[in-house]
Amino acid sequence: MRDARKRRIGRKLWLWAVCAVSVALALPSAADSIDPSDSLDRLEPAPPDVDPRDVAIRAENSLRSDRTYMAAKMTIRSPRLSEPRVVEFRSWDDRPEKRSFIRIDAPAKDRGAAFLKLHPNLWSYVPRVERTLRIPPSMMLQPWMGSDFTNDDLVNESSSIDDYDHRMLGVDPGDGVAVDERAYVIEFIPHEDAPVVWGKIVAWIGVEHGTQLLQKFYDEDGEKMRTIGFAEIREVNGRWVPHHWEVTPHNKEGHSTTIEISEFRFDETFDEKIFTTRNLKQRN
Amino acid sequence: MTSLRIAWRNVWRNPRRSAVVVTAVAVGIAGALIAMSFNYGMVVQMIETAIGTELGHIQIHAAGYDANPELRVRMPDGGERPEEVLTRNEGVVAFARRVRGEGLVVSPDASVGVRVVGVEPKSEAAISIVADSMTSGHYLDGNRKRVIIGERLAKRLHVDVGDKIVLSVTDMRGDITGAGLRVGGIFHTPSAALDSGTLFLPLVESQHLLALDDAISEIVVVGSDRARVDDLEGSLASSLSGLEVKSWKQLQPVLDYMVTVFDQMGYIIYGAVFVAMLFGIANVLLMTIYERVREIGILMAIGMPRSRLAISIVLESLIVTLVGLAVGFAVTLAVLAALRDGIDLSSFAAGLESFGVGQRIKPVLRYSDFVVPTVVAFLTAAVASGWPAYRATRFRPAEAVRHV
Amino acid sequence: MLEFRLAWRNVWRNPRRTSLTVAATVFAVVLVVMSVGMAAGVHEKMIEDAVRYGSGHLSVTGEGYLENRTLEQFVHFDDEIEQQLRDTDGVRGYAPRVQSFALLARGNSTSGVAVFGVDPSLENSVSRFSERVRTGSFITPGGRRQIVLGQRLAAKLSAEVGDSLLLYSVAYSLETAYELFDVAGVMRLPDPNLDANLAVISLADAQDFFVYGDRVSEIAILTDEADSAADVARTLKATLRMEGPFEINTWDQIMPELVQFILLDDAGMYITVFIVVVVVGFGILNTVLMAVLERRKEFGVVLALGLRPAAVFRTVYFESVMLAGVGLVIGLAVGLPMLLYFQAHPIELTGGMTEVMELFGSEPVMTFKLKPLNPIGSTITIFALAIVAAFYPAVKASRGRPVDVLRSL
Repeated sequence: MRDARKRRIGRKLWLWAVCAVSVALALPSAADSIDPSDSLDRLEPAPPDVDPRDVAIRAENSLRSDRTYMAAKMTIRSPRLSEPRVVEFRSWDDRPEKRSFIRIDAPAKDRGAAFLKLHPNLWSYVPRVERTLRIPPSMMLQPWMGSDFTNDDLVNESSSIDDYDHRMLGVDPGDGVAVDERAYVIEFIPHEDAPVVWGKIVAWIGVEHGTQLLQKFYDEDGEKMRTIGFAEIREVNGRWVPHHWEVTPHNKEGHSTTIEISEFRFDETFDEKIFTTRNLKQRN
Repeated sequence: MTSLRIAWRNVWRNPRRSAVVVTAVAVGIAGALIAMSFNYGMVVQMIETAIGTELGHIQIHAAGYDANPELRVRMPDGGERPEEVLTRNEGVVAFARRVRGEGLVVSPDASVGVRVVGVEPKSEAAISIVADSMTSGHYLDGNRKRVIIGERLAKRLHVDVGDKIVLSVTDMRGDITGAGLRVGGIFHTPSAALDSGTLFLPLVESQHLLALDDAISEIVVVGSDRARVDDLEGSLASSLSGLEVKSWKQLQPVLDYMVTVFDQMGYIIYGAVFVAMLFGIANVLLMTIYERVREIGILMAIGMPRSRLAISIVLESLIVTLVGLAVGFAVTLAVLAALRDGIDLSSFAAGLESFGVGQRIKPVLRYSDFVVPTVVAFLTAAVASGWPAYRATRFRPAEAVRHV
Repeated sequence: MLEFRLAWRNVWRNPRRTSLTVAATVFAVVLVVMSVGMAAGVHEKMIEDAVRYGSGHLSVTGEGYLENRTLEQFVHFDDEIEQQLRDTDGVRGYAPRVQSFALLARGNSTSGVAVFGVDPSLENSVSRFSERVRTGSFITPGGRRQIVLGQRLAAKLSAEVGDSLLLYSVAYSLETAYELFDVAGVMRLPDPNLDANLAVISLADAQDFFVYGDRVSEIAILTDEADSAADVARTLKATLRMEGPFEINTWDQIMPELVQFILLDDAGMYITVFIVVVVVGFGILNTVLMAVLERRKEFGVVLALGLRPAAVFRTVYFESVMLAGVGLVIGLAVGLPMLLYFQAHPIELTGGMTEVMELFGSEPVMTFKLKPLNPIGSTITIFALAIVAAFYPAVKASRGRPVDVLRSL
């Protein structure tokens, strides 16, 4: 009789222990997965006369003009790498014609490589063997230069206005939880037939200067896929431009890509010859 | 005929012994027939799956497609000319137009290279089993932006009905295009290959995506009898010069071989059964004649010709075998009628589906399947009785009569 | 024992009938031995063909490789590991490989390819890729920047032996991986998918290209036979000293469809054999029954004289068992050497199937295999059947009422 009771008690204790341990284990991870900046309860209601689409266009213009020149340094961190990989490049972007050109300057192994985008196609030039190839669909989702951007991102990043519907969610008070200044929070919903897998993008756009501050990409089930933070906002030719971009993918542990822009030139005039496959092979 | 009557009476003189022989023959024939009918059922399923999901009875392509199955080897007029010919041809029961390409299907979780097939829902449903194989959602309908994919592909992509996917292809001009589409339905066919690697979408959408204008890649044709497809192929090929016309046998010769191999195996099995029965019948007959030595002696003594004697022994053998054959056939038909819905081999699903065979195997019998056993039975009877009949005729009447 | 000697003498009392019965038994036994041997041989060959086509009997990979198949999952392969493999019993061959996805371009034609980096001196001990080369040659040991393509792939790129192609991908170090390779050969693969997507380069080149160091995606291992794969896997799991986590999968885990197919095929074969054995069994049963019935008078006399029914039962029983035993022994004596002969000399197949088989890269022969367990199993089964079947005649014999029997005299 004694033994039976002991066993029963023992079993109960064991059950409690298991419950306690599970709860204990669950708590920290629960805490991890809640990002305070995701909560929209903090937002103030938006002013009624502000058109979210206009705000989106202003944000777009904070990063690009019709013809933009950019020189930048990209740092890639990954658990695979013992030290971060640093890529320096210059880019010429022609927005109305949907074309752009990127020349890689560093590291030494990649110096001279180049990319030419003539929407919707992307060509890649590799220096040592002096060959050019067009990137097919199967390669479009591969990382660009090893970063957390894909080749597809490069080609399609100009469609955020036309391919999306825009909805104003509110105004972030700029208390440092998500961003440091007052910002409109706008939801970008892709059109039904838009060739993107995102379910939605939630963007923070500064009220004062209309600068892109933060972007969160979600899949259709509402899972956050990646976050892009924009910082170091400085004025260039009347535009307030973020010079530091940080990309954090949420499905790859320990990965991040940082872009530090050293030079921005807006409203440039570009030589037509830049956007040709011939230019890929030039040493410039 | 006296020999026949004598033979018949002899057979039933020892009912239990005859019954055992009849049973042996019946078991052998029935067993072989039933086993083979299921085996053939598998082969038939394999063929029908391939035909019902991909091949149809006949496929028509632009010239050069066999050597180079590329997007640009297409029928620019959308198949107008062949369509006329097909509608007029009496051997054609149904046909459907298709566009074939390759692409990448992308979901938030994964990207998979797939074969892209643009179809016209109504005509495709008439020639393909995919329309009847939907497990969730529904088949293609008027909505241009809906695609259907197989269960295995859906699992790999972690998508369900209603989820959005991006289809990325290289179109006719060589440009990369993508389209945002939604999964309208998920299917499950006996073909693992189809379920894991093919995406179906409306023809017009595929033409738009691939910049094909009105062009199509192929026309699938179904006739009345897949076995007599060669005639249809011949008549179509002659009226459709300039296009490639191929029957399913030419498109996948392996399937046709399967039937031949199966038939050959059948001969071997029957051969074994034949030899097995041979021993049994021969043994019994021998015993019979030695039992009836005196009787045979008397018969010979009163003037029965030896030939008649031999014939009656052979007839005995034949009767027993034929009765066994009849019983065997009856048992076969009864068992197959009971099992006509097929046997469930779901625990072997993965293996079967890699060959394009479903989980339920239905038995299939052809008229010709009854011919071989009959011939085998006759042969067995004849051969088995040969030696005993010969021995019987060698009895010396004088000695035989005095046998105890 | 008296019954024994009686039984033996009775058996040979009617030599003709006995011989026929024994012949029937011998036939059944030989059939069973050969059928089972043939099934075993054909299936072994099927497995061998399938594993030599890719995975080997065993696949040693990083954890999670089979589901994900990216550069992220790897194991290290160095001289130490190689030595450990060589020292393991049952390992017939091993081949380290690097596998990944890349772009192959010739001028304006590009194609996504699955790249296999293989060690040319080791690869042949596991796969048969080198035998499938139709033009040019396979990767040569020590050769640099050689690439071998599937036939459809070569056609798609309009590439021929000697052409220079660009291989382009993302390395493990996240750098852009690119290099020019010279087409050394073109091979024909039965699987149209692989034929259109496979490109083979040397292991050394692959490790350089993907900046992989001494990592490999998998080590494919060929064991002495399919059945020993599980044992060798267990041994290796316990003894292999690897840096980091690894997993070992056996061929049946990688290709469950093959296992199921073999099971099905075996089932079909056993059913057929069973049918034949039953038919033969009936014949034998009938014979024995006859023999008993015709000796009714004899049994009657013997029983009347006081011999116990049990003794009669035993005598008749032994007769049947001996009949079966003699047939079994002769059958095995004929069947086993026959099987062994065909095991050493497989039958060449003719007809349409040869083309199909060669298409699958499989030698068109019918192979046989003697697995010790099989004849033992068959013998036991047949003997068991005989023992059970012999009951009826023996019972009949011992039941005969002496009075009735004597009266019929």
